[in-house]
Amino acid sequence: MPFDDKEARRRRSSSLVYTEPPESLEQLSDQSALPNLNAQWVNAKGAWVIHFVLIVLAKILFDIIPGVSQETSWTLTNISYMFGSYLMFHYVRGVPFDFNAGAYDNLNMWEQIDNGDQYTPAKKFLLSVPIALFLISTHYTHYDLTYFIINTMATIAVIIPKLPAFHRIRIGIFSGPPDDS
Amino acid sequence: MDLNEAQGAIVRLMQDANAQFHKVPGSAIVLRYIKSSYQHDPVRSAIELLLFLFAIRYLLAPSYSVQRERVKLTEEEIDELVEDWTPEPLVGAPTAFEELENEKRPVLVGPTGPKSKLSNGRTVTNLASYNFYNFVANELLKEKAIQTLRTYGVGPCGPPGFYGTQDVHMKTEADVAAHLGTAACIIYAQSFSTISSVIPSFSKRGDIIVADRAVNYAIRKGIQISRSTVRWFEHNDMQDLERVLKKVVSEQAKKPLTRRFIVTEGLFENMGDVVDLPKLIELKLKYKFRLILDETWSYGVLGRTGRGVTEAQNVDATNVDMIIGSLSGPLCAAGGFCAGTEEVVEHQRISSASYTYSAALPALLSTTASETIALLQEQPEILTALRENIKTMRAQLDPRSDWVKCTSALDNPIMLLVLKPEVIASKSLSPADQNQVLQDVVDECLANNILITRLKQMPAPLGVPERNHGWQPQPALKVCVTSGLTKKETEKAGTVIRHAITKVVARRK
Repeated sequence: MPFDDKEARRRRSSSLVYTEPPESLEQLSDQSALPNLNAQWVNAKGAWVIHFVLIVLAKILFDIIPGVSQETSWTLTNISYMFGSYLMFHYVRGVPFDFNAGAYDNLNMWEQIDNGDQYTPAKKFLLSVPIALFLISTHYTHYDLTYFIINTMATIAVIIPKLPAFHRIRIGIFSGPPDDS
Repeated sequence: MDLNEAQGAIVRLMQDANAQFHKVPGSAIVLRYIKSSYQHDPVRSAIELLLFLFAIRYLLAPSYSVQRERVKLTEEEIDELVEDWTPEPLVGAPTAFEELENEKRPVLVGPTGPKSKLSNGRTVTNLASYNFYNFVANELLKEKAIQTLRTYGVGPCGPPGFYGTQDVHMKTEADVAAHLGTAACIIYAQSFSTISSVIPSFSKRGDIIVADRAVNYAIRKGIQISRSTVRWFEHNDMQDLERVLKKVVSEQAKKPLTRRFIVTEGLFENMGDVVDLPKLIELKLKYKFRLILDETWSYGVLGRTGRGVTEAQNVDATNVDMIIGSLSGPLCAAGGFCAGTEEVVEHQRISSASYTYSAALPALLSTTASETIALLQEQPEILTALRENIKTMRAQLDPRSDWVKCTSALDNPIMLLVLKPEVIASKSLSPADQNQVLQDVVDECLANNILITRLKQMPAPLGVPERNHGWQPQPALKVCVTSGLTKKETEKAGTVIRHAITKVVARRK
């Protein structure tokens, strides 16, 4: 019984990789008590446009800082976007509001989007934006190897956790798996 | 010939495509991008190409759901299942014992009081109501309530945050806070739902509650609603509490910080005994827990002026993070309160469900509460009179009866009488048997014109087997002493109860 409370959090202390187990029945009913407003907005059109707006604003911001070259400015734009999106979609867990009695506390926002369904339009969009931004910024950094390595690493860091194979996977190097008894 | 034609067609096609491509806005940018991107660096180009192809693949992949597949049912199967389904009753069928209890249930006619009239015409001595100070019969309170009714009407008809708050509510809040000596206080419209709403407004999923095993039903509901992780400690066992606190602290040492609470009662509804507050405060400070103290049964009862456990055990009320009390029962009003710091109270005004979503307390009950609190403070002899009666009643029952003992604290007007362990052992009585015996005692007392009652079992969740019902109190008789009776009357009632117990229990084989 995957819905069993005992199975809801199982221990695998020997392993670095930990799969977030399925929710218990109580958690599922709390999750469906209200629509998940924390994840729903990514499907809105304005939410797609705001990515481009923010990227352009960041670029302008880095351009007006004196002494910053075009290459550095593009790289800064790229890594700040990647950092922001990693923080938002993959690092922070749960819902900031008290809609579901904390039933989403173990899931990050990427896993909450569309109830965890894969290859949905919103997820396709959110994956293609960093790739496009990466290709553009390598182009405008004139293929300088240092900038290229920095940009690639930043991009890879946001793309890997978006892969369907990494759904509900937690990698703990410093912290063990959560144990709950 | 054919080959030439084909070649020409292809070239034309390419030229057309090229021309078309150049007409597309932005094509020049793409061309320039592709031309400049190679830069004699095959590895980097390969990575870029790979990433691009991956994006294309991801975009073209069909979406799928990770939700568990639901079983697809045909229309016939659905109809069949609907046909087969019989609804479970919301309330289970009454047991034979409950039937019998309902049949014999006494019905009061007219106002309640120390002497109540039953529907069968007899007048009985009422020791089954929480009318400890007989404020019910107080003409002054009645007059004030009628005055308020004329001014304010019956109910505010709105939640406190939505036109429901009236000046009398704010006065009652101030009165309770001043009485207890806390910074602030919040008034709820119903006593039962006060604690069951205060707990979930502070403690959420992932937070830790350490609770006494014998806490009352309202606290249990609050803990359940809060979704918190709960650890139980043995009833009133401070050593066991320390063990549990130590365990929680060591378990949580490497985890993100969560809120931690100790939840217990002042006077226990199910046991009648009193908490050891100074020790509790010491432990809570030592292990950094917050204390939620349910004084529903001790506020207005313990202490020189009825301030509850804090006054009785000389503890500053500000040491307790949340004091929950009741204004119904002895205070003759209705509703409950939670007293604490300004922050604790203000937090509840927007996030405590039964405050935000329930209509405010009727104004006349609010003024009554203010009046009774003032009475308790101005005339502590009201409490002393009650304690005299408790002493008298106790003298008739606890040391003198061979069959029962009183688990309640000395100052508790609700005397819970349980059968002595040796009696239970010698007659091998199961909890159901004990309930039966005690019900017989209640009936016997009623036949002698004394109305008492039994401690009721906590309602069991539906569809849960009996062994999983959790902690249940030991069956007990409930005798509520009141200062509305004279010492002589109380003594007489005590004697009747003692004789009834002796008669019923001795008869039982």
